[in-house]
Amino acid sequence: MTKDEIVALTNRVFEESFEIPAEKLTPQARIFDELGLDSLDIVDLIVALQKQFKIQIREDERVRTIRTLEDVYMFILTLKQESEQARPAGS
Amino acid sequence: MKLRRVVITGMGSVSPLGRGTAALVQGIEAGRSAVQVMEGWEKYIGLRSRVGAPAELKDEKLIPRQNRRSMGRMSLFAVQAAQDALADAGLDPAVASSGRLGCIVGSTTGSAISISQAFETMLPDRDLTKLSSMMFFHCLSHTATMNVAQCLKINGCVMATSAACASALHALGTGYDLIRLGRQDFMLCGGAEELHPTVTGSFDVLFATSVKYNTTPHLTPRPFDRDRDGLVCGEGSGILLLEDYEHAVARNARIHAELLGFHTCSSGDHVSESSRPAMVACMREALHDAGLEPRQADYINAHATATLQGDKEEAEAIREVFGDAVPVSSLKGYMGHTLGASAALELAASLAGMRKGLLYPTRNLDNVSPECQGIRHVMGAPERRDAHVVVKNSFAFGGISAVLVCRMP
Repeated sequence: MTKDEIVALTNRVFEESFEIPAEKLTPQARIFDELGLDSLDIVDLIVALQKQFKIQIREDERVRTIRTLEDVYMFILTLKQESEQARPAGS
Repeated sequence: MKLRRVVITGMGSVSPLGRGTAALVQGIEAGRSAVQVMEGWEKYIGLRSRVGAPAELKDEKLIPRQNRRSMGRMSLFAVQAAQDALADAGLDPAVASSGRLGCIVGSTTGSAISISQAFETMLPDRDLTKLSSMMFFHCLSHTATMNVAQCLKINGCVMATSAACASALHALGTGYDLIRLGRQDFMLCGGAEELHPTVTGSFDVLFATSVKYNTTPHLTPRPFDRDRDGLVCGEGSGILLLEDYEHAVARNARIHAELLGFHTCSSGDHVSESSRPAMVACMREALHDAGLEPRQADYINAHATATLQGDKEEAEAIREVFGDAVPVSSLKGYMGHTLGASAALELAASLAGMRKGLLYPTRNLDNVSPECQGIRHVMGAPERRDAHVVVKNSFAFGGISAVLVCRMP
C-alpha cells in the first residue's frame, strides 16, 4: 500500500466518522487542537482505522505519540511495512 | 409546608405525525394514520406484527457532532422536542445552566437500534474491539435525558424514569413534585422511544401486538373497538416544560395548563395483566391529590392501546370512577403506541385540542366492544366542548399505573 493510498483512506475516515471538511485535512493539522477530536473520538478513530486498514492498533503504545494527521499516515505506513516484512517470502 | 403551583409553559413534540405539536394536532384533525407496513420486518422469524408508526428524523445534523455522537435515534428525537419545548415557552436558553432547571426524560430502554447494533457487532466473533466508544452512551437507560442535558447545557437535576409505557408520565409526575417542593423552578419532562423490530417483537411474543391488519395498516390499532387485536408501536418524543407558577406569571408566560394532581402505584399482582383495581385506585388518588371530584373532570385521555385485556380493564376502571359522564378517547389510532413517549405526546395533543375547544375522537373506534361500553366514548368527529380539566392515564407492563390531572386556564 502506497502512502498516497493511506492518506486517501485515512482522510476518508476523518471525513466520514468525524465530519471534518476535506480542506482541513492537511498533514500538519493537529488532531486535538485543530480538528477538534477528543479522547472518546480517539477510541472511535482507532476502531475505524482498524477496520479500514485491517490492522490491530488498540494495544500499540505508539498510538499515544500521535499528534498530527501526518503522524497517523506514518504510523499506518510503518505498520503496513512491518506487516509486509513479517510475511514469509513468496507469500 | 405550602406546596408551589406548577404549570406547563412549553410543549415539544416529535411524533409519527410530524415535528411540532401543531403538526401532531393537524394530523389528528385530518384523521390521518401514521401506521404503515414496515419494510424488512418479514426477515424476523416469528414476528407476526409487521406494522409500525415511524417518525421522520430530519435536521438532526443541526445538533453539533460533539453532542450528536452520543445520541441514538431516541435521543435525537428527545433533543429536538426539548429544544422546541424551550422555544415554545419563550424561555432564555441561558436558564438551562442556572442550576434551577432540571430534566427527566424516560424511555423503555436505551436506543433499541444501537443495542441491536452493539450485539450484532460484538457477538459473531465475541470481539469487543469493533465497538464504538459511543455505543455505551446510546444504550444507557438514561441515554435520552443525559443527552438532552448535555446538549442544552442543563446543570440542574437530571434523571430518567424507566417504566415502559408509563415512563413519560412518571417523568412529568416527578418533575411536578420537584417544582412543587421548591427543589427546581423549571423541569423539562417527558419521554422518548424508537421503533425497531426488537421493540415490537418484545410485545409480539406476549401476543399483545396487532397482527390482523398487516396489509391494511391504517385500520389498526383500534382502541376500545370490537375488532381490536393489539397494539402498534410508534416512536418519537414528547417533552413539556414545567415551571413554577409564580415565575411563569411574573414573566407573563403563556400557560398551557396547570398540573393539579398526580399519582402512581403498582398492582402488586401480575407483570403483564392489567389490573382494574390498581387503575381505579390510581385515578382516585390522582383526583384526591388534585382536590377534585370525578364529576369535575372534563375529559379523560385514555391509555387504551387496543390490547384485548388492557382496554377492557381501563374501560371498566373509568366506568367505576367516572361513570358514563366524562368524554373519553385514546389517540393511539393516529400514531400508534409511542411507549415511553406516549403520555407526553398525547397530553400535548389533548391540551392543544382543548385550547381550540376540541376533544379528539378515538380513531378506528367504529363499534364499541361490549366490554368497553358504559363510558362516554368520543367517536367519529372531534367533539366541540369547553373542556378544562383533563385526566391523563398511563399503564405499563410491570403492573404500573400513573395518572396526571391538569387544568387548562
